[in-house]
Amino acid sequence: MSPVFPMLTVLSMFYYICLRRRARTATRGEMMNSRRAIESNNRALPTNVEIVQYAKEVLDFSSHYGSENSMSYTMWNLAGIQNVYPSSGDFTQTAVFRTYGTWWDQCPSARLPFKRTPPDFYSQDYVELAFEDPVYPTAVHILETYHPGSVVRVLACSANPYSQNPPAEVRWEVLWSEAPTKVNGPQARQFTPCIKQINFPTNLIRLEVNSSLLDYYTELDAVVLHGVKERPVLSLKTTMIDMNDDDEDEDEEKDGGGMESLNKQFSVAALKEWPTNGYFDKLPYELIQLILSHLTVPDLCRLAQTCKLLYQHCCDPLQYIHLSLQPYWARINDTSLEYLQSRCTLVQWLNLSWTGNRGAISVSGFSRFMKICGFELVRLELACGHFLNETCLEVIAETCVNLQELNLSSCDKLPPQAFNHIAKVGSLKRLILYRTKVEQTALLSILNFCSELQHLSLGSCVMIEDYDLIASMMGAKCKKLRTLDLWRCKNITENGIAELASGCQLLEELDLGWCPTLQSSTGCFTNIARKLPNLQKLFLTANRSVCDTDIEELAANCTHLRQLDILGTRMVSPTSLRKLLESCKDLSLLDVSFCSQIDNRVVLELNASFPRVLIKKSFTQ
Amino acid sequence: MKSWWVPVLEVEGMCCQAGGGGEGRGESRTGGFVAQDEVCGHRPRFKLQAWSGLQTEKSAGSSAANSTVGVADGVGGWRDYGVDPSQFSGTLMRTCERLVKEGRFVPSNPVGILTTSYCELLQNKVPLLGSSTACIVVLDRTSHRLHTANLGDSGFLVVRGGEVVHRSDEQQHYFNTPFQLSIAPPEAEGVVLSDSPDAADSTSFDVQLGDIILTATDGLFDNMPDYMILQELKKLKNSNYESIQQTARSIAEQAHELAYDPTYMSPFAQFACDNGLNVRGGKPDDITVLLSIVAEYTD
Repeated sequence: MSPVFPMLTVLSMFYYICLRRRARTATRGEMMNSRRAIESNNRALPTNVEIVQYAKEVLDFSSHYGSENSMSYTMWNLAGIQNVYPSSGDFTQTAVFRTYGTWWDQCPSARLPFKRTPPDFYSQDYVELAFEDPVYPTAVHILETYHPGSVVRVLACSANPYSQNPPAEVRWEVLWSEAPTKVNGPQARQFTPCIKQINFPTNLIRLEVNSSLLDYYTELDAVVLHGVKERPVLSLKTTMIDMNDDDEDEDEEKDGGGMESLNKQFSVAALKEWPTNGYFDKLPYELIQLILSHLTVPDLCRLAQTCKLLYQHCCDPLQYIHLSLQPYWARINDTSLEYLQSRCTLVQWLNLSWTGNRGAISVSGFSRFMKICGFELVRLELACGHFLNETCLEVIAETCVNLQELNLSSCDKLPPQAFNHIAKVGSLKRLILYRTKVEQTALLSILNFCSELQHLSLGSCVMIEDYDLIASMMGAKCKKLRTLDLWRCKNITENGIAELASGCQLLEELDLGWCPTLQSSTGCFTNIARKLPNLQKLFLTANRSVCDTDIEELAANCTHLRQLDILGTRMVSPTSLRKLLESCKDLSLLDVSFCSQIDNRVVLELNASFPRVLIKKSFTQ
Repeated sequence: MKSWWVPVLEVEGMCCQAGGGGEGRGESRTGGFVAQDEVCGHRPRFKLQAWSGLQTEKSAGSSAANSTVGVADGVGGWRDYGVDPSQFSGTLMRTCERLVKEGRFVPSNPVGILTTSYCELLQNKVPLLGSSTACIVVLDRTSHRLHTANLGDSGFLVVRGGEVVHRSDEQQHYFNTPFQLSIAPPEAEGVVLSDSPDAADSTSFDVQLGDIILTATDGLFDNMPDYMILQELKKLKNSNYESIQQTARSIAEQAHELAYDPTYMSPFAQFACDNGLNVRGGKPDDITVLLSIVAEYTD
């Protein structure tokens, strides 16, 4: 053994010991601090007091049961402290969405679902709440007071809706997500999903709901946000590795972190050259196309980055005939549309509902996309598209010459003049204007020129002055009308109904819920029953004048009836209901909530005799 | 579920009896509320001392700039339709209270509160029936003005220095038939009296520190003439919560006693006599009395 070796060993040992000691002091201090902080939260160095906040304001939502400008059953009730909880029942002071269960998927106006919906996307409706102070959330409590169990997703936004400057980056993080589960019973509960920790403070929370498993309308009373002002101490492991906020690991991509990751997938990537494609060369083109048609859009984009052959397949416009970007609403922006442009030249069904808000999509970005991809469009979904303006509708009207279905549900920021352009789309078969500001002249124009209309939704269109005139126009021009939603159309009378019933004899679905100006004594409901024998769905919600005669007329004439809502009338007796149930063998939904002559005992009796009908009887206490 | 008269009205000395005995539980058809809205704004100077002791929610950072008091008197006779007469007046007042708490009103337009409340009643899934008078009083603290809206024969008095300086006018179609808000069943449309909220009388005037505002249903005014009310109010020593409650309670109790005195010449009997009807005695009725004092606002 040479004398150098022991020398080296001693030296290395010496260095090793010194280095270890330095390392220990460097990291041990940190470790000690965080351990101390964890063990003794009260004595933590920065004050990490938990702040509890109720929602200050409801910023946006996709639908609600109540009337615009009302306090009853509207989404605005979700702000502030609870009004009803812990009581259970159907109360006016809660937030209620427009639909529940699967009833709207089973009626003549039901829409076909888009293919390629990712298995973890269940959301049907949403509501966005702003809180006063941005915090790092530690808990979210949702106070549900009636038929709970609808919340499927909770998200937090990095943008502060109250800040003066527009945010540099708008990032949505999923705090919690789960498939809808059946909750038995209508009793109130406090729902506290187990949320994950995020690395930015937030005062903008979004709830997404799915009511398909519920027996009746769900009602939410309040949302409580617990959080801390200072970034909470994370687990020991993560403190050591300390974090870069722009971590781009696999998990974040799956959770839908930033738009960057999705856009990266869309963009052209440098692809490796290989001499052959192995077995893929043996498969026919169409077969690979068929296999790929089962992939979700992000997976399709990831696959495109693997090799030139699959890139060719994944960018083939035939893969994008039906394209739904709604599940990825948080990540779609102008850049995404730009990347998709070349592939979407043949798109026929396009779903951009919920996308583009808070500056993600610009008018020019959307217009550019439409001009390239709009020609073949048959179905266009733009629900809650708050980025839309008049120019966008003008572009749609110009480029989408084959458009048959247009959904502008809850586009309440669209100015009234924007709707003037819709009349140019003469091929329209379905038009949804729920909760929009469409005005009388524009609507009359649409009805005049869109004679192919089969499905029309004018629910909560508050700017229409004279619904009798609208109904008259429909009766005259829209002979092919099959479904009509006139929910909360405040001033329609028996005259409008008469013209409608005479002119639109193909009507299978008619929603006249909360139309108080219709009086049974004028014979309008009898008229409906006699003139519209094909009716499958009839909603007369909260019409207090519906009486036995009307029910008997329905029983005699509308034997195909499947769904009937007569909530809130005092004038219907069990006898006439029995006649109806005997006559209408297809009836599956009967809502007799708050009908004073139909008490629970009657409901039980009817249930026993007619087990296939679901009889709904809501209660307040 | 809380009944609508807890806790506001109980502590304000409401005395409730079912008109005409016989009803077991004695639910009153009258109702009232006192509420504070959450409008942020100028630094307030005055407030209605009436509810200094009450719990009201305040969101962080806002100061309440207005106070509102309201009473409603349900019209009987709805029992024939199987309707509980207290449902309408109670729901009306609860809705007004909610509107005020959420700041969905303009202080100088109390008729607006009535109109909006009435429209909200129609938005209820429950088929509400009934009718009621209503009186709303809003103190605008920043301008020191009192804005009032009165529909029917409930009303208010403003007492300063032992004298009545302002009072509401009764609105009657004819004898014992006050103006009233109502929701009628469909078969009785056009037969049942139904006044629009716009028909309410509306007044505005300045108030001073120390002014006493008494808001009550006709059960009080029909049984107790002004001088008796003023006598009771003289006993109000200071503007703390207990004294006000005590005084309001004693006024209501006294009116209640007088109502059942068959020989007493009540204001109601006097009015009847003046119109050719020979009657004496009090008028048994439900009585709601709300007392408030304009006091200095301290943060």
